[in-house]
Amino acid sequence: MSDQVRIIRFKVADRVFHVFIMVTFLIQSVTGMGRLLYHTNWGKAVVGIFGGYEGASTVHNTVGILMIIGFVIHIIYILAKVEWKSWRKSLLDADSLVPRPADAVQFGQQIRWFFGLGPRPSFDRWTYWEKFDYWAVFWGMPLLGISGVLLMYPLAASRIMPGWVLNVMVLFHRAEALLAMLYIFIIHFTIGHLRRGMFPMNEGMFAGSVELEKEKEEKALWIARLQEEGRLEQAKVLGPAPWYRTAYFIFGYTALAVGLYLLLIIIVYRNYIEWH
Amino acid sequence: MDPRRLLRKAVLRIILGLLGAVFLWPPAASAQEEVTSSIRRYKDREVSTGYYEEHEVKPRRTRPFVQQKEVVRRYSAPVTQYRPRAAVEPSVRSRMEDSHEGIQFYELRRCEECHVEEAKHSHTVKANLTCRQCHGGEPIAGINYYYSPMNPIRRNAYVCAKCHEGASVSFATFLVHEPKAGDPATRKTFASLYYSNWFMYLLIVGTLAFFGLHTLIWVGKETYHAVSEKMKTKPEAEPPPAEKPEPKEPENE
Ligand code: HEC
Ligand code: HEC
Ligand code: HEC
Repeated sequence: MSDQVRIIRFKVADRVFHVFIMVTFLIQSVTGMGRLLYHTNWGKAVVGIFGGYEGASTVHNTVGILMIIGFVIHIIYILAKVEWKSWRKSLLDADSLVPRPADAVQFGQQIRWFFGLGPRPSFDRWTYWEKFDYWAVFWGMPLLGISGVLLMYPLAASRIMPGWVLNVMVLFHRAEALLAMLYIFIIHFTIGHLRRGMFPMNEGMFAGSVELEKEKEEKALWIARLQEEGRLEQAKVLGPAPWYRTAYFIFGYTALAVGLYLLLIIIVYRNYIEWH
Repeated sequence: MDPRRLLRKAVLRIILGLLGAVFLWPPAASAQEEVTSSIRRYKDREVSTGYYEEHEVKPRRTRPFVQQKEVVRRYSAPVTQYRPRAAVEPSVRSRMEDSHEGIQFYELRRCEECHVEEAKHSHTVKANLTCRQCHGGEPIAGINYYYSPMNPIRRNAYVCAKCHEGASVSFATFLVHEPKAGDPATRKTFASLYYSNWFMYLLIVGTLAFFGLHTLIWVGKETYHAVSEKMKTKPEAEPPPAEKPEPKEPENE
């Protein structure tokens, strides 16, 4: 690992955000699933870890508030990152996560490649599926956050709207949470981590850096752009320290295991899940 | 003193005062809402005198019903929404003082044996309430019975407020026994729930189908490439096999 040339991909702040959302998301998934399936033995057992239904609710609510705070901090952080003087360029260049026309083109190329109708497309720094991952979470957060806060304070919420809206909010909260879990545990895990070439683990988000040789295959445009702008040398960094690598392997695989376990539970208990 | 310093001091004090006010602000005493009248509103709470003030019958903040326009008004009394089945199958028993009057073997059976659907809601399943904590002792009045504590004009105070302190009329429009969101009948009785359900359903199925397929093809394709690559490189790694005779398979027999 250390003999490979590595270039930086995620700054410390980005990685902290990712670890933060991993941990909070998994806690919410476990406590939320425990509450959702409280009428089953599995639900009662899981909720028991947190000291019963009320304990699980308290954890769920507290971590929910933490997530909202984290999300607000994230928004402030990205707003501060945009160079407002040249905002058009700053938002739309290839280093930004804002979708661009090129994403649609690359998506078309990818589909053609799937069916053997064209060569494999090369991507820039962010591929269209990575952007989708980001924006899906970005829009899921407010939906879950707002419906969650309203349900947390039903009395206060019914002052600003009719009480029956809470019935609808319960539905939104559960359905969106299920969607988020299924998406992360099936699609994000497979594309990001378990796919060939990524297996056993896509270390980019933890180490912060990626192997130059590997990226030349998939993200050739990015590497070419770095070279052209003369930033490639500057982007080269040292690999992660062995202890750190061990730590994030353990952490990452724990998270993966929790996620896959929950996925299994969703499948096994699918008939007991009532999203409304 | 320097007037600017004075001004600065004054501004600072105002800010500090406001900050202090945030902490000293009385907590939203929602229960106050219930006792704003000079006559104490719900005298002994559980005991109904049958006398209600006008504003209790005509709530100002929100109508006590889920308001949806398409509700069919088939009966002289307005058919209201708060009872999920009401718009579909209105029942006389709903207006009776004892809704179980004349039902045989009623005393011998448990609520959830007859009301299967009504027993599946979070208050019973999760909060572990009994039916009677809300519906009260015998006789269990129909929801639409005028003097029923469950009647939406006073449900908030007589039922919900027992546990949710300060429950408002708006709060009581929450449907405790939610209709099934996927049920076609719900389109009439609770349209927003019905359409939200469809929206989320399509969103989930759409996203997962699209990206699921995308992932599946992708993984399949990469595996195929890897396998065929391996098969191509294999002969080079091993010594090239000597001329193999063509397998003797009689073609047409
Ligand atoms: C023997 C079966 C049976 C049992 C047991 C039973 N019910 Fe009923 N209940 C009925 C029937 C039938 C109706 C009338 C439903 C209709 O006409 O829509 C009814 C009506 C009601 C209504 C009025 C519905 C309305 O539309 O306003 C309420 C409230 C109710 N039951 C609550 C309860 C509770 C609480 C219990 C347990 C203590 C209970 N029931 C036990 C059969 C039963
Ligand atoms: C949290 C309080 C609460 C509890 C607990 C409760 N109910 Fe109800 N019930 C209501 C309210 C409020 C209504 C009026 C309609 C609504 O909100 O769904 C109602 C309506 C009903 C109706 C009329 C039909 C309908 O669906 O609208 C029946 C029948 C009924 N309840 C039976 C039961 C049974 C059986 C139980 C116990 C398993 C039970 N209820 C527990 C509050 C409660
Ligand atoms: C006997 C006590 C009791 C009564 C009466 C009662 N509730 Fe509740 N309610 C609870 C408890 C306990 C919870 C918490 C349940 C949970 O966390 O899932 C709750 C939760 C709720 C919630 C939060 C959303 C949810 O599904 O968790 C709403 C909304 C609500 N009740 C509405 C009502 C309404 C409307 C009435 C009056 C018809 C009512 N409640 C009567 C005990 C009660």
